[in-house]
Amino acid sequence: MTHFRVVTPRIYRRAIAAATMLLCLLASGGCKTSDDAAAAATQLTATAKSLTDYYSALETMLTESDQLNTVQEVLYGIPYDAPTKAVIADTKAEMHKRAELAKALSELAQSFAKLTSATSSTDAANSASSLETEVESLNLTQSKLSDNERSLMKLAIGQVVTAIQEHKEREAARGIDQFTVALSNFFAKEESDYQSIGDQYAVVSHSLAVTLLQRGQTDPSGFFKVALDPYGLTPEVSDPTLKAKIGKIAEQQADQKAADLQTAQKLADAEMEKSLKTMADRIHLVATGKPMELRIPPVTVANVEKWASQFIALIPSTTTGTN
Amino acid sequence: MQSALAELESTYFTLQNQIGLLTTACQTDAQRNDLITKFVCARSNYWSCVNKAFHDDDPEVVSLTTQLNVANAKLKVAVAQMGDIKTTLDNITQAVTIGATLAAKVITL
Repeated sequence: MTHFRVVTPRIYRRAIAAATMLLCLLASGGCKTSDDAAAAATQLTATAKSLTDYYSALETMLTESDQLNTVQEVLYGIPYDAPTKAVIADTKAEMHKRAELAKALSELAQSFAKLTSATSSTDAANSASSLETEVESLNLTQSKLSDNERSLMKLAIGQVVTAIQEHKEREAARGIDQFTVALSNFFAKEESDYQSIGDQYAVVSHSLAVTLLQRGQTDPSGFFKVALDPYGLTPEVSDPTLKAKIGKIAEQQADQKAADLQTAQKLADAEMEKSLKTMADRIHLVATGKPMELRIPPVTVANVEKWASQFIALIPSTTTGTN
Repeated sequence: MQSALAELESTYFTLQNQIGLLTTACQTDAQRNDLITKFVCARSNYWSCVNKAFHDDDPEVVSLTTQLNVANAKLKVAVAQMGDIKTTLDNITQAVTIGATLAAKVITL
């Protein structure tokens, strides 16, 4: 009896240990997918945030372009015609819609990350509704976004909401997968327009800056601040020869800055497109139940943020309004 | 094939980059007014096609884009050399006129 009393618990203990190991294995398998989904959602949130900032930067450039045309009117007497002004305002409003779309995607991604929470269904429905509105409001030709592509995007959003409401992770990932692929393709189709907006901003601002410099309509004093600031002195440049010399240097700096602006945007465009493709690939892994090896947002996102920040800092109010 | 928007952009940017020199080079008010009118048209041609699309398979769009590409090459040389202002204005007129016909082909929503 004593013998059996000792052995039986040992068998039980072994059985319990084996069951626990099995449960752990099963649980780790299940948790792995959840971890991947959460990581993908976090990455998508970061990427969508960069996309919002990217479009906000374009919006700012368009605000600046509108003002530059007014400066040009004063400087050269070139009329700023109403149709062009209206087109620039329309283009700005379109970029604002894209920024809002990216913002809504970021919010939907956050709901996906909180799939099992009590509020995820409501949050998902709200952000999906915003996302659908923005997709519908995009004023685009068929070659950039066909009716079929637009319908697919909206269907995918609906699929995400239903899946989140039913706490079905993989189904939600499939919907997000379809949406991010469509968004990535859409960005690629418009990329040359985005670059053109940036190029015209650099060309017009540079042209006006150089004219103002050549006409002696800038204050060159700032050039000497580096030498005078440590001693609490204020520059007051009156020598015409000195002014002319600074003017030449300033012109070279303006040339370089304009070229840098165009190069930096070209890089940001490429990096944003790459980030969207990377995200689409990673979400696809979650949707198809494959392991996701990288858990950090695409590194290219940081470069886009850096580029966008210089414009967002320029006119903060334009990031929230359309006009 | 060249992009229609890229060609419209080229005309506008060439004029914008040298607008200071061009206005100074004009010898009469009529020339100056002509330059300003053409500049406004070039800018309008460009903006009316940003964030839009063309039927790339339309032979007329293809032909106009090619014509504008040639006109832009002549315009760049004329503006860079800044010789006879009358010849320069003729080159500007040619590019801007082709540009206006091309811009009219943009797909409207």
